[in-house]
Amino acid sequence: MILEKVAEIIVETVHCNAEDIKAETELESLGIDSLGAITLIFELEEAFGIEIPNEVIPSIKTVNDIIEKLEVAGQ
Amino acid sequence: MITGLGAISASGLNIPAFWDAMKAGHTAIKPLKPAVNDIKISVAAQLPDFVPESYFTHDELTLLDRYSQLAVIAASEAINDAGISNNEKILTNTAIIVGSGCCAKHTDEETCVKLFKQQRSRVHPLTIPKGMPSAAANMVSMHLGTKGPAFVISSACASGAHAIIQGASMVQSGLVDIAVAGASDAPFTYGLLKSWDALRVVSNDTCRPFCKDRSGMVLGEGAGMLVLESEDHAAKRGARIYAELAGSGMTSDATHITRPDITGISKAMNLALNHANLHSTEIDYINAHGTGTELNDIIETRAIHQVFGDHASKLIVSSTKSMHGHALGAASALEIIATTLAIYNGIVPPTANFTVADEQCDLDYIPNKAREQGISIAMSNSFAFGGLNAVIALKKYS
Repeated sequence: MILEKVAEIIVETVHCNAEDIKAETELESLGIDSLGAITLIFELEEAFGIEIPNEVIPSIKTVNDIIEKLEVAGQ
Repeated sequence: MITGLGAISASGLNIPAFWDAMKAGHTAIKPLKPAVNDIKISVAAQLPDFVPESYFTHDELTLLDRYSQLAVIAASEAINDAGISNNEKILTNTAIIVGSGCCAKHTDEETCVKLFKQQRSRVHPLTIPKGMPSAAANMVSMHLGTKGPAFVISSACASGAHAIIQGASMVQSGLVDIAVAGASDAPFTYGLLKSWDALRVVSNDTCRPFCKDRSGMVLGEGAGMLVLESEDHAAKRGARIYAELAGSGMTSDATHITRPDITGISKAMNLALNHANLHSTEIDYINAHGTGTELNDIIETRAIHQVFGDHASKLIVSSTKSMHGHALGAASALEIIATTLAIYNGIVPPTANFTVADEQCDLDYIPNKAREQGISIAMSNSFAFGGLNAVIALKKYS
């Protein structure tokens, strides 16, 4: 469920193909660079109403990393 | 030498449309859209049918303030016109100098609305790169692939003239092979409209420079960019030369923040003549600053008399702000383009919306109808708030 929502926001933000987005997909392979990642995290924070701490951002490499951080931040 | 031109303004989204409007004496001043209830300003010179998405992708637009968009569009047209787009060797040593009176105000105001009006606690992460005053120079350089120096110059309504003078100086001194220089301004934000309202200099009718019944300036938006290179460089690559940038003069009044000073603006015109090794009697046409305000029009006319003496009665003078509006810093670049095209085509754009001349404005202002007249040497005047004056002399290339 959360993967679907995250994938939807990724598509809206970076305009990649939805079918390319799996849990294990690396953000870099979707053409998301460091600035793109910050923009994406901003959109996710807005959508989920949470805040992901700055210090965990460098460890976000895959879609699954995003989901984990969202779950931690939402607890 | 001027070898490429690009313009986007209320008078058209490219150079052919712009020049058609100038030749036709067509004013682009219309009711302000959207009308805003608590703003007195009701007329403006706004871009007609401009759809940013038809020029840029969604991703590109996330980094492009409106003023950057206009600068990129005009600069792209200018380098295409000059035949240097995709020429990596040339673009490597090309400078970008963008003038702007108000820079990325759209981004600034959108941010303020989110924080202070909507009480949101966060702003978009790209707010800094999109909204920094130098953004247009970065964006033009990235979109065109130029790798020489790139920066923004801000001197209110003379920004374009200052940028073009700076570009020409860099070419002349050998710092760069080519400079793409001009200006961009997008002042139609709520805050800026309110601020111009407060200054009480904006007309609610139209812009009628030098006329008895003039009622003030009319705000415009747009960008104008020029490709500048040396005669040798242009000749080696077989470039078309529109005109020669023969000289320039710059002064500061050091008197009043908004009232122009005859000494400062006369000196700027004299400096431009001296710099270009021209005698005042050699000038055929002046594209005036001509804002349509009482303060400017009378002082500018007096200054022209002071500089040109008896020759003033033989000069032809027009204000193209009556057509493309006062696009602040960009207006000076658009006017230098109009002057360049007047020399190149032998057609001089008029002062549109002209009714009856003010008694104190007694020059030939080319009322309403363009004049087919070969001109060899012309001047473009730009006088900004703060008393910042920049005058450019242009010569027919032969």
